[in-house]
Amino acid sequence: MTTQRTLAALATASLAAAALAGCSASGGDGDVTVSFWTHTHPPMIEVYEQLIDEYEDANPNVTIDYQTIPNNEFNTKMLTSLSNGSGPDIINMDDSALRGDYIPKGLLAPVDPAALGESSTDDVVARYVEGTLAGATGDDGELYGLPSEFNGTALAINVAHFEDAGLDPDAPLETWDDLVEAGQALIDAGHTQAFSFLYLHSGWYSQQFQTLLHQTGGSIADGDEGALDSPEAVEALRWWADLAGGDKSVADPNATSREATVPFQDLATGTQSMAIVYPWSMDQIAETNPDTYADLKVVPLPQLDTASPSSRVYAYYWAVNKASKQQEESWKFVQFLSEHSEDFLAGTDFVQPLVGWQESSAAQEIPFIDTWGAAYATGKFDQVTPHYAEVQDAITEMVNDAVFDGVPVEDAAATASEAVTRILQG
Amino acid sequence: MVSPSFTTRSSGSRSRGAASRARRSLAGFLFAVPALALFLLFAIYPGVQVFGLSLFDYSLTSPPEFVGFDNFAFLSSDPRFLEALGQTAFYAIGTYVPALALALVLAQALSTRIRGMGFARLLYFLPLAMSWVAVSIIWRVVLHPEGLLNEVLQLDVNWLTSSASARFALVIMSIWKETGFFLILFLAGLSAIPPEVHEAARIDGAGAWRRFWSMTFPLLRPVTAVCAIMAILRGMQSFSPQAVLTDGAFGTEVINLFVYKTAFESARMGRASAVAVLMFVLLLGLALVQLRALRRKD
Repeated sequence: MTTQRTLAALATASLAAAALAGCSASGGDGDVTVSFWTHTHPPMIEVYEQLIDEYEDANPNVTIDYQTIPNNEFNTKMLTSLSNGSGPDIINMDDSALRGDYIPKGLLAPVDPAALGESSTDDVVARYVEGTLAGATGDDGELYGLPSEFNGTALAINVAHFEDAGLDPDAPLETWDDLVEAGQALIDAGHTQAFSFLYLHSGWYSQQFQTLLHQTGGSIADGDEGALDSPEAVEALRWWADLAGGDKSVADPNATSREATVPFQDLATGTQSMAIVYPWSMDQIAETNPDTYADLKVVPLPQLDTASPSSRVYAYYWAVNKASKQQEESWKFVQFLSEHSEDFLAGTDFVQPLVGWQESSAAQEIPFIDTWGAAYATGKFDQVTPHYAEVQDAITEMVNDAVFDGVPVEDAAATASEAVTRILQG
Repeated sequence: MVSPSFTTRSSGSRSRGAASRARRSLAGFLFAVPALALFLLFAIYPGVQVFGLSLFDYSLTSPPEFVGFDNFAFLSSDPRFLEALGQTAFYAIGTYVPALALALVLAQALSTRIRGMGFARLLYFLPLAMSWVAVSIIWRVVLHPEGLLNEVLQLDVNWLTSSASARFALVIMSIWKETGFFLILFLAGLSAIPPEVHEAARIDGAGAWRRFWSMTFPLLRPVTAVCAIMAILRGMQSFSPQAVLTDGAFGTEVINLFVYKTAFESARMGRASAVAVLMFVLLLGLALVQLRALRRKD
């Protein structure tokens, strides 16, 4: 009995000690644990793990607790964990989520210039290409993060497919009409999935729709009123629907792969001939399907108005949880990461838009760097609204209505616009 | 006349028995305390919280703000909520009425004792042993435009990418998955019916249909009632197949998926709680109606 009591007491004591240790990220001897969450992208994870090892070797008192969260759960898990105080010290989040939720809700700490080795925020801003920090800047003008990846939008074409169809892969596809013409030649040559959008989840639907919307000059909402029924937004939707199944059809959307865990699967496997891509997607295909990658070429995104070219940019930023007790250490680690932009370029094609990045030796190694550079020059961030997740669902339903269910474009847009108004006013 | 000594002994014995029973009851209660505490903490307490939260606007990251019945008022005119409610009813009825009927017919067929029947039963039970997520992934392949279903039925239907067919695709898959569950219950019910009852009816000249309709079915009524209540609960609580196969697109968003998205994607916890309250009231009402119908039949 005495032994049992002793064991029970020991078990209780060790449990209590473990609980206490778990509550504290900073040990009495100056040891610090900084938690850091990112989404999943294998080449990126490899770079992070390597840099974390390097950082921990150089700072033996610091442990980086690195966790990756599946992409489709990332925002939900991050938001709920931040709300109950169990979130990480450093988050790596895209600009839509930062501008839509995290910054307006006051969940993030402004950048700490001292920990970043600068005397003011202006000095931090001056490191980066103008405009590229807009995705992490609040309405108050404060900067809340540094970019870990800055993505432009371009078009990948399969050169072998083009040659099969008797097309010149070096001839520019300046307009969407050029793409339709090439697509129909590809279909005639047996490449039936000539061009397709990705139908994965609402985030993908809305980002591709906004790519077209930037070119038509439309918007999702105007204040708290939906604007998806504006002529510009309807034009963007019409282009999507026509490319998918109308007069300009260049692929069967029902035959497009819908596996959200593996975007660009059809392009990577050589099933699809043309796709809208980002720098990281090309790196991903190079790793998973090197044979197809050898046939791919990145060209500028086709335009609706060549006189006023426009494309979409988006970015992920490193930001620090406002509730973190390790803010200074967190920003120091972010500073370390930002000093290794060439490792990200070389390891995962992530562009960190530091002034002069394009001239760096690592950038020069990236295939089609000039095309990417031009894409950044014409890029715009997406419009983000409050309750953006719901708005993205409304956009998804609108596209599904028009593309898959054959609902007239104007009707689908009007229904979605009403839904957006209800979301923003509700 | 009872002797005093006997009375005294009997009374003492009764009181000792009562004390012993009380001790046993207390011990039993104490053994139940941990489970009860967990139930109160993780089921009742959050349930009560949901009622309270339904009267607030709460976005997870800012303090809750009291809004009275605004969440309920919004839901009463929200097309997305009303559509989800309709879709839930469609799914529950479309799946579970055929599944119950099929399970009853199969149970009748599989209750005969012939060689190989055990293996046949196993085949019907297999889908039940698989998780909804695994089943949904398998059926994604089956329902592909070039998948097994179209090939077998010689159809050209985009099952999962059309509002005209996606809800039916989910119903077909769910009937396949759920029939085995009710089959087990009906088989258990059939095995409890004494064979003499059927024997007597057969001697009296009753045919197979008459025996089923006038004897088997009435005797199975308690099992049928349990199955009906469970069918409604399972139908109204569906979430995984819709989440995995369509993410609620093409008119397949059911109430639980709507609640999940409202709470965790849109961070509107108050509104999601209001839906949960409405569903609780609805399910409670349906269960009470069913119980009352059952009591009347009994």
